[in-house]
Amino acid sequence: MRRTIPLLLVLLTGLFAALAAFVPHPAVQNVDEVMRNDVIRILAAFGLVLGIGSILQHHFLKIRRHAQYWQYSYITVIMLFVSAIIGVFGGIDPNRPGILPTHIGSFSFHMQTLYTNVMVPLGATMFAMLAFFMASAAYRAFRARTVEATLLLVAAFILMLGSVPLGRMIHPQLPSFAEWILTVPNTAAKRGILFGIQLGIFATSLKIILGIERGWLGGGGGK
Amino acid sequence: MTAQDGASRHNFWQKLQAIDRRWLYLVVWLVVMLPLIFPFRIRPKATPPVERLFQFIDTMPRDKALVLSIDYGPDTQAELQPMLVAFLRHAFAAGHRVGILACELTGLGLGENALRQVTAEFNVHAATRQDSVINGEDYAFWGWTTPYITIMLGMGERISKVFPVDYYGQKTESLPIMAHLKNYDDVGILVSIASSAIPQSWINLAQTQFGVRLGCGITAVSAADYYPYLNSGQFTGMLAGMKGAAEYEDLLLNRLKENGMDWGQRYRGTEAMSSQTAAHLAIMAFIIIGNIAFFASKRRKS
Repeated sequence: MRRTIPLLLVLLTGLFAALAAFVPHPAVQNVDEVMRNDVIRILAAFGLVLGIGSILQHHFLKIRRHAQYWQYSYITVIMLFVSAIIGVFGGIDPNRPGILPTHIGSFSFHMQTLYTNVMVPLGATMFAMLAFFMASAAYRAFRARTVEATLLLVAAFILMLGSVPLGRMIHPQLPSFAEWILTVPNTAAKRGILFGIQLGIFATSLKIILGIERGWLGGGGGK
Repeated sequence: MTAQDGASRHNFWQKLQAIDRRWLYLVVWLVVMLPLIFPFRIRPKATPPVERLFQFIDTMPRDKALVLSIDYGPDTQAELQPMLVAFLRHAFAAGHRVGILACELTGLGLGENALRQVTAEFNVHAATRQDSVINGEDYAFWGWTTPYITIMLGMGERISKVFPVDYYGQKTESLPIMAHLKNYDDVGILVSIASSAIPQSWINLAQTQFGVRLGCGITAVSAADYYPYLNSGQFTGMLAGMKGAAEYEDLLLNRLKENGMDWGQRYRGTEAMSSQTAAHLAIMAFIIIGNIAFFASKRRKS
């Protein structure tokens, strides 16, 4: 029963979603609208609760077992609660205050202030570090060992030069050639890949709806 | 050449290959930072995908709105935030209504920052109501909701149903702008500024079912993924990476100058072009030196 009911729900929902795309009858369309607008949102809300529960469980377990870097779990858990409380009760900024006082003297910790001064620099820093790793990888790993690697290297060179204004200074047609590489050979290859991916998605969706693929039920077994 | 010379040269190439990565990091840091500290201006020339998107927004009927979907977070804001600012400036200068939403939760604050910046620029110089930009009348910031399938399909029916309250907690239906912005029929173009595959979902869900016109602004690294959609005409235009933002800024600056709206605003995409150019050159130099060292070392060995 624990497997049959979820499988039945998926089968019915999947078939109905497909049916709604072909049947314009108001009765079908109204149910479809409720499914898309309300049911999905309710499910997403449950998903949020599950997600928070899962993250808390994971980090509490780490703290209890003193696993590697368990100290950082305290930061995650504390920040989860602090940001949630400020977000829900603290207001967006000084012009739109909430019910919770979120400033001490001139020091403000409204959601927008926290976002701009903590989230933005941290996110930007993480991504900026990629530049260093990419440079190191370009130096150590980007070698013209084979014909394919050489082709890749040449294409990358043209694209890198074409994607900065300097490319035009070297040769006026270089950016156009870089654009041609993206528009013609790249598009041809990408289209082939996309067709393959879409057919794969279609086949996998059918297998899930028909209950052939059951990995999503947990346990990883196909039975 | 003695055997000792040959061995020392072999050593040199090997050492060059095994150079401490911190030296590479230092070079990257210098080539990125120095042009920012001592900037030199590089004006990019707009590529066709950027020009098409600019021209469409520029000539779009006044009664049609520009909808901007913020589908990125702070990690890619260096590349994508200049695009959002440029689109807002362009839309307000052209007198279009603007609707802003976020499919990415962490993009909300970036939307708020961009709106504050651009509305302040316009309102400081406004002499009449017509010149000013007012929340709820000229633009609406609908905020975020989940999942995005609900947003993309629901907006085709009624936008205020998808976003019952806006980012500031006001009832969306009560905003004057919403009388002219009910669903995709009132949207001239929807531009998804994204660091993920969300623009493809806009095509699959919003364009295929409701026929809404789409444009996109994406990170340079994901540009190759979007060319098939651009070539097929599913995207009217595309801004790829910081260079795309700089190209759009260049077209916009010319338009603002014509309209007497060049108030000395900063154009972050254009400002960063010098730094990006230097970084690209450095990486190309790394690849060349790395390959020379590799082949020289291999030859010595054989």
